Amino acid sequence: MNQTVQARRTTPALTPLYFLRIASVLAGFVAVWWAWNRLNMSVLAFFDDLQNVVNLFKRMYPPNFSEMNRIISLTLETLWIALLGTFGAVVLSYPLALGASANTTRHPIIRYICRSIITLTRAVPELILAAIFVAAYGPGPFCGILALALHSIGMIGRLFSDAIEETNDVSGDAVSSVGATRRQRIRSAVIPQALPSFVSTALFRLEINIRGSAVLGLVGAGGIGQVIGESLETIQYKPALAAVLVVFIVILAVELLSTSIRQSLIGEAATQQQNKQRRRFSDFLNRRDAILNQNAFEKRQLSPPWTSERIFRSSMFIFVTGLVLFAIFTVDIQWKYAYQNSHKMWNVLKLMFPPGAGGESSLLIRGLVESMAISIVATFLGVLVALPLGVMMARNINVRRFFSFGTRIGVLALRGIPELIIAVIFVSAMGLGPVPGTLALSVTVAVFAAKLFADSLEEVSPAPREAVVAVGATKLQEFSAAVVPQFISPFVSTLFYLLDVYFRSSTVLGIVGGGGIGYLLIQSIKVYQFKITTVIVISIYLIVLAIEWLGNGMRRLFK
Amino acid sequence: MTPHLEVVANESVATITVAALSKRFPNGTLAVDDVSFIVPQGQVVGLLGLSGSGKSTLMRLINGLHSPTSGTVNVLGVDVGSAKQGELRELRRHMGFIFQQFGLVGRATCLENVLIGSLGRLRGPRLGVRTYPKALRLLALERLDRVGLGAQAFQRAETLSGGQMQRVAIARSLMQEPKVLLADEPVASLDPESSNQVLDLISTIAREDGMTVLCSLHQVELAIGRTDRLIGLRDGNIVLDQLTAGIDSDVVMDLYRRHGTSDVVREATYA
Repeated sequence: MNQTVQARRTTPALTPLYFLRIASVLAGFVAVWWAWNRLNMSVLAFFDDLQNVVNLFKRMYPPNFSEMNRIISLTLETLWIALLGTFGAVVLSYPLALGASANTTRHPIIRYICRSIITLTRAVPELILAAIFVAAYGPGPFCGILALALHSIGMIGRLFSDAIEETNDVSGDAVSSVGATRRQRIRSAVIPQALPSFVSTALFRLEINIRGSAVLGLVGAGGIGQVIGESLETIQYKPALAAVLVVFIVILAVELLSTSIRQSLIGEAATQQQNKQRRRFSDFLNRRDAILNQNAFEKRQLSPPWTSERIFRSSMFIFVTGLVLFAIFTVDIQWKYAYQNSHKMWNVLKLMFPPGAGGESSLLIRGLVESMAISIVATFLGVLVALPLGVMMARNINVRRFFSFGTRIGVLALRGIPELIIAVIFVSAMGLGPVPGTLALSVTVAVFAAKLFADSLEEVSPAPREAVVAVGATKLQEFSAAVVPQFISPFVSTLFYLLDVYFRSSTVLGIVGGGGIGYLLIQSIKVYQFKITTVIVISIYLIVLAIEWLGNGMRRLFK
Repeated sequence: MTPHLEVVANESVATITVAALSKRFPNGTLAVDDVSFIVPQGQVVGLLGLSGSGKSTLMRLINGLHSPTSGTVNVLGVDVGSAKQGELRELRRHMGFIFQQFGLVGRATCLENVLIGSLGRLRGPRLGVRTYPKALRLLALERLDRVGLGAQAFQRAETLSGGQMQRVAIARSLMQEPKVLLADEPVASLDPESSNQVLDLISTIAREDGMTVLCSLHQVELAIGRTDRLIGLRDGNIVLDQLTAGIDSDVVMDLYRRHGTSDVVREATYA
């Protein structure tokens, strides 16, 4: 305080933290520059590529719907695969989640085993699982269902377990206090609390699996992907476009449907909101329900009355059960064949161990490095596009309504298309190689990241923004002074989350000729070199762990 | 209710003129209902009322953060309701605003938060202390000294206590060299000691710099000795407008008590 005014420092001291931040940003740009050169990307070629894609669409047009019957039946098969895969995953996840949660399982070793299984299933991409099953059981939707069921455990089990651990312990204690057993405690106190979360998780995963099942056919695991794969291999683009269009429409419809179901099914608030919208009808229902409740009370009915809520829930339950049963009988699952071939699966498993590079270690490393480069460039390009899109989409940032709405619709429409289908289109237009794969992945990153950015922008606290407006700042000044500082930390988190997700994606691009380790991965399965498959899968898993670790560090650095 | 003659001593130097002002929100709530008063230059006015009585809305109407449904607000000769974006920004540059929740950017340093107060004078967006001119940085340090937080200049705002945060917010307003200071419940989320500190700071600064102040408060005791005049709001209406000197605090308390008890009675009947 004794210093004279002129001698005081007017900028923060340059702490090591400050230099570390600058260094990490620089390192990030160096990584992008390296990856860019590694893939021989060039901005000029990009316009040629764009031209090629446009040309391809011209060649694809008009779509050939002559095989419409086949397309429709395979699209339905895709939906059934997704439904049964999700159903299987839910059934498998339920005991695993109970075993992995601290408040339902006391034994730490059991907990550890369950948790490890959940984490491991997520490590192997579903397409690779599907390819392995196809190698063992032969092609068919059964492999797709199995692959989805196993891979989805990673997410469903994790979220189920989170939901179980978030339940209120006091109600559990209350149940225990009357002398209930542990199973009774779980059944009466834990599950009822976690159930809404279970339902929303299952629906969310169903949505993801519908997108995923659309490409399972590329490795012979059933569904519409088959048509897309075949017709592109034989350079017949017109039926492919027809299939892509059908997939696109189905996925969009499912997305809209699931959004509305999720809103109507979960939470009192949602119900009330709806009641407000349909006041008259709900007034009638409420009055009727009140009478039902009263009757039940006066006549001492022993089961709950059939109020509209109960009718809705029961009919939903019956509908879903019916749908699953219908799917089981519709999809051509050759149980007998599957049973007979189970020894082959055992052989495949035996071949997977011990893992070995089989003399291909340099190819393997090159493939992994290329995948890494693809995911870095794709994340960079995607984020570059997603930032302005996210700002336009965020409802709390004042952009012209027209742009905001338009961007939302565009992003919603594009979000549904699986990245492998985009990759197929780009590879068909530009030829084999990592560049079309990278560009296809960038499109997916951009769309997904725009949504994530918009979400975190909407979470920005309004208080400082109002204060900045109150000093007479312009919109741009308000954005930079009050919104940007709040956005830095979620941005860093999102960046590494994207890198994590899209590194996984980049490892399967090779299946359609989009570069990276995927080509070697799929070839190793096709030629029964399963020990190489294991090495690759383990390497991918280790890289993902490394990205996660780096992300955690960066998150702390930019907190 | 017509304002007392002595409180509108000289209309020619009126800083804030509110005339027949009403605000109805889209959900139908009438937050401010036909309110009129005049604040002359340099007067420190305490705005009293319970939560939901319309104090915050009134403040925001004066600053132009809300626009009136009917009636007018005139501040420093500018009609706030009809001012264009640019004019409104120009006006806000001369008007400090203190929020109950401080409105600081938690991740930014105190110095940067204070510098935000000078944005109105600068062109273009700023991010980080280094993007502001050195002269302004020195000025901001001096403002922080004035609120007694010069030593915390490079600490992140989110690491401060509530009372300190509010003092940083005051320093941010001082950066604007405001002619008018609006303080919306500045001490509602502070402990009694910090409350006294913050209010003393506001009243001292107001007198030293000759600022016109409108400060909303929950408690009468806090206003006494620090304000020149008290305006009481209830359900969007003015129910009290007197000079603070010699005010009978029982009269004011009575106002609250009657309101308070009636609420209790109403709740009791429903329960």
